[in-house]
Amino acid sequence: MKTEDLIDLLARDVPPAERPQWRRRLALTLLVGFAIALILTALSIGLRPDIGVALGPVLLKAGFSALGAAVALPLAARLMRPGRALGWRVAAVLIFFGVCALAAAIALIGMAPEKRLAMWLGGGFPWCLVLIPIFATPTAIGLVWLVRGLAPTRLTLSGAAIGAVSGSIGALAYSMHCPIDSVPFVATWYAAAIALCAAIGAVLGSRLLRW
Amino acid sequence: MTERVFSACAMADEAQLRALFLKGLNGDAVAHRSFLMESAALLRAYYRNRLRGAPEDAEDLVQETLVALHTRRDSYDPAYPLTSWIYAIAKYRLIDFLRRKKRRGPHDSIDDVELGGLSPDYAASDAKHDIGALLARLPTKQRDAIRLVKLEEKSVREAADITGFSESDIKISIHRGLKALMRLMAEEGAT
Repeated sequence: MKTEDLIDLLARDVPPAERPQWRRRLALTLLVGFAIALILTALSIGLRPDIGVALGPVLLKAGFSALGAAVALPLAARLMRPGRALGWRVAAVLIFFGVCALAAAIALIGMAPEKRLAMWLGGGFPWCLVLIPIFATPTAIGLVWLVRGLAPTRLTLSGAAIGAVSGSIGALAYSMHCPIDSVPFVATWYAAAIALCAAIGAVLGSRLLRW
Repeated sequence: MTERVFSACAMADEAQLRALFLKGLNGDAVAHRSFLMESAALLRAYYRNRLRGAPEDAEDLVQETLVALHTRRDSYDPAYPLTSWIYAIAKYRLIDFLRRKKRRGPHDSIDDVELGGLSPDYAASDAKHDIGALLARLPTKQRDAIRLVKLEEKSVREAADITGFSESDIKISIHRGLKALMRLMAEEGAT
């Protein structure tokens, strides 16, 4: 087929392009993803029984998770549409993880040596490493579906950013269950779980986001 | 971020191309056609330069990318240069093409594709795609919508009357069908 014939075909009967509300759709996807994750958390492992009493630490962990989402979202949103400079957005995510590692290290150094391991691990295996990625899945599915409708051109990075945002939303839901309030625990394992989601996203990105 | 391909012989400048594109977004078919024609020239130069010795592959990619520009036009952010958007998509289609090619086997390695004489002829050569054959592989609804409106030059209204679907159904089917068509072109292009 001649290219000119193809162009004739494409340019025949061109309707005005719709202006889809990407921001609104993005916000809706995050909201629905969080709602599903919260329901999953409540139904599977249950909300924290003392959630009213321990409101401070719960809000602190929720705030930490929300911060993760706020830091990764600009990158994910920027990568949705082609040909735009990334600017500070990659650095913001890296700084977030750097500050988490630093905060965990400082908190651990300030503790009595015999208490360190228990405070760091939260007295057992840090299950949030497994549970946060699970609760991140609804958001990730929604975001992949949304982004595929646009035109991502940097699939690995885009996948990683989607993973980080989804992981943060998963962490936000998980924080309503999580009984461990130690700073080094949260700064290490919440951040590690979000990073794990980003890594999974990077690996799956080139397959799931292809168009 | 704009990738300069042939700065010496600028074929269409940013402002001109952008004006055409934005008119096309508002439903101006003539402007949209000119935008696609100008883009085809840019894309041809871009792909010929990178796939030396394989002008047919280059033309396949030109066509595939034109369909991508058309079906994904709502992904353009007007705050950025249009050419950045075009070349970002062009580069993505090229990388996707080379990956597919590589996966097909060692004989079609990237090295083979890139070597060869520089073709000085930038006129369109025929691509290998047979749109008719590719259309036949689409779901019936999408195929009929594209055939009626895009090939038989019927209006969306007429196509809706003939098929019994609503007008918005026809429009959506055309849009989805063209997206699917691009994927079929891509699959076929790498064989």
